[in-house]
Amino acid sequence: MRQVLTGTVGARGMTLGRARRIQTTNMRIDTTPLADNEVDAELTRLHDALESVRAELLALRDKLQGSMAREATEFVDAHNMLLSDPDLLRGLDGMIRDEHMRAGAALKAQRDRLVSVFEAMDDPYIRGRSEDIDQVIGRVQAVLTRESSNEERKLAARVGEILVTETVAPGDLASLAGRGLLGVVTVTGSTYSHSAILARNLNLPMLISVGNALTDVRDNDLVLLDAEAGELIVHPAAQDLARYRRWQRDASREGKRLAALANAPTRTLDGVDIRLYANGEQPNDLAMARSHGASGIGLYRSEFLFLQQNGLPSEDEQFSAYRNLVLGMGGLPVTIRTLDLGADKAGNAGLVVANEENPALGVRGIRLSLRNPVIFATQLRAIARAASYGPVRILVPMITQADELEAVHTLIDRCLRDLRNEGEDPPDSIPVGIMIEVPAAALSVRTLLKQADFLALGTNDLAQYVLAADRNNNALGKLYSPMQPALLRLIHSVITAATRAGKQVCLCGEMGGDPLFTPLLLALGLTDFSMHPRQLLTIRDRIAGLDRTRLRHLAPRILRASSREEVEAILRHVAV
Amino acid sequence: MLETTVTVSNRLGLHARAAAKLVQAVQPLEAQVMLVSGTREVNAKSIMGVMMLAAGLGTPLTVRADGPDENRAITTVTDLFERKFDEGG
Repeated sequence: MRQVLTGTVGARGMTLGRARRIQTTNMRIDTTPLADNEVDAELTRLHDALESVRAELLALRDKLQGSMAREATEFVDAHNMLLSDPDLLRGLDGMIRDEHMRAGAALKAQRDRLVSVFEAMDDPYIRGRSEDIDQVIGRVQAVLTRESSNEERKLAARVGEILVTETVAPGDLASLAGRGLLGVVTVTGSTYSHSAILARNLNLPMLISVGNALTDVRDNDLVLLDAEAGELIVHPAAQDLARYRRWQRDASREGKRLAALANAPTRTLDGVDIRLYANGEQPNDLAMARSHGASGIGLYRSEFLFLQQNGLPSEDEQFSAYRNLVLGMGGLPVTIRTLDLGADKAGNAGLVVANEENPALGVRGIRLSLRNPVIFATQLRAIARAASYGPVRILVPMITQADELEAVHTLIDRCLRDLRNEGEDPPDSIPVGIMIEVPAAALSVRTLLKQADFLALGTNDLAQYVLAADRNNNALGKLYSPMQPALLRLIHSVITAATRAGKQVCLCGEMGGDPLFTPLLLALGLTDFSMHPRQLLTIRDRIAGLDRTRLRHLAPRILRASSREEVEAILRHVAV
Repeated sequence: MLETTVTVSNRLGLHARAAAKLVQAVQPLEAQVMLVSGTREVNAKSIMGVMMLAAGLGTPLTVRADGPDENRAITTVTDLFERKFDEGG
């Protein structure tokens, strides 16, 4: 029987799938008082639950990959801060010890008190934070009632499902979206919630404030989530499906036009061939890289392997992952970046590191690897062994000066020699390139080029270091821009130096996959791009419409520009 | 016990990001640090407390610190406010 429920659009879009209900609020709170001899055990129960939710959130944060990590980490961190908040914790012990309340009842009392304060706020953004409190306390309650929240997540992790729930925490949403969730419907929520912000960033249709969703929708019901019109249609009829198809057709017309480009060469309007590579770690990335005609893998972030298992992978484990990567790309070159971690994350990868006040400027990337020669040699051996299955290149992160690169060459030579002595058959040599992300390396690139076979421009970090601006600090939004003339001059000088030396320079920062910057990068002389495989077709299409010769003539003006705005103005003429 | 008055002068007021910065800055200190606005008094080491103030641009706040490192607490807080939480405006 067709039924239409209405709600508020949290994130636009439309999707059709099976409903998966998750009821989190049916927790019965035990309000019977504790006996005197139960108090101590109850205190332990509460603190164990808090500790296990802390661990759960940290694990969730570390599992987030790529764009999910970029979008959701901050929100997960906010929940962790709430969990350790003295105002949240204050009084809980007292309620248990003095008033003999059970942990669940104490948490509920605390939740009610805090939420009522927040809900009385004038500012809608601040008011929306009551949802975060609810979600954090809900997690602790779930652990207390042994209704493990992990179980819930697994339940909803099936591909092709639309989640119907009371409320969803941003970290869970990111993790579900990464596993194929189609859309989400919540009973409560505000458009200011972190989950709604996240859903918009992830293009995941979301409908909020759908009052009867949990009573009117059953598991496995076919539902059409129309987060354009703000409707959830249960058991959609023929006219609904027709509307959905129409919407899909419109939305995919653009996608299809691009798909036809998958196997076309990447060539500018004036016939210059450009190479597009993919950044990727997971099987999906590789599949997409191949189907979208990438020239190879331009950036495989090996720390993925380390963080995924929360410990040091053995040589064989690494070898098998790298070999699968090489085999998966069927003869196309694969660029493996050696471990790129700093004090902020290395602990999660099983390395022993000292705490640092400023990990962005500390022992990270190659600095960390050279200080852990055994771990580094293990990785180099695994890469060298995989290199007998197809073309592999080694990319070294965070190079600052030439002696670091010398040390890497020495280690690689030793690994190759050892492997040969052990009867393995690695190639005679493996190309070694460096990331240009430290300004010092960019400024001394001619010296470094004597020992590097290729360069990879890591523009995300380079921009942060050149502009002394954290790109996650929204307050600095305008300062952190790839259009900053100082950054462009540096990028240009690196491209020019590499081209003169006859060596490849590939840009693997986010700007490489953003069509907004394609004309600019062609103007600066770039011919090799590496990007998320999803962007390959868009960029190929963009390049096909650009005249490189004309753009190259703009370079002197761009390099003389005195502001970001001036660069934008110069490019506005070419941007179609 | 030390007390001083600061004015919220960053563009967004004490929103989540600025609140988080303030809390992280005072959390390692021993002194108890309170923020007072009108009749509301909150713990500066609590993200919820600080957000509950929801202090907007131009709002005067009293900072009260009590403890062995109360001097440092006051300078830490006034510094942050003077630097507008490094939000550049």
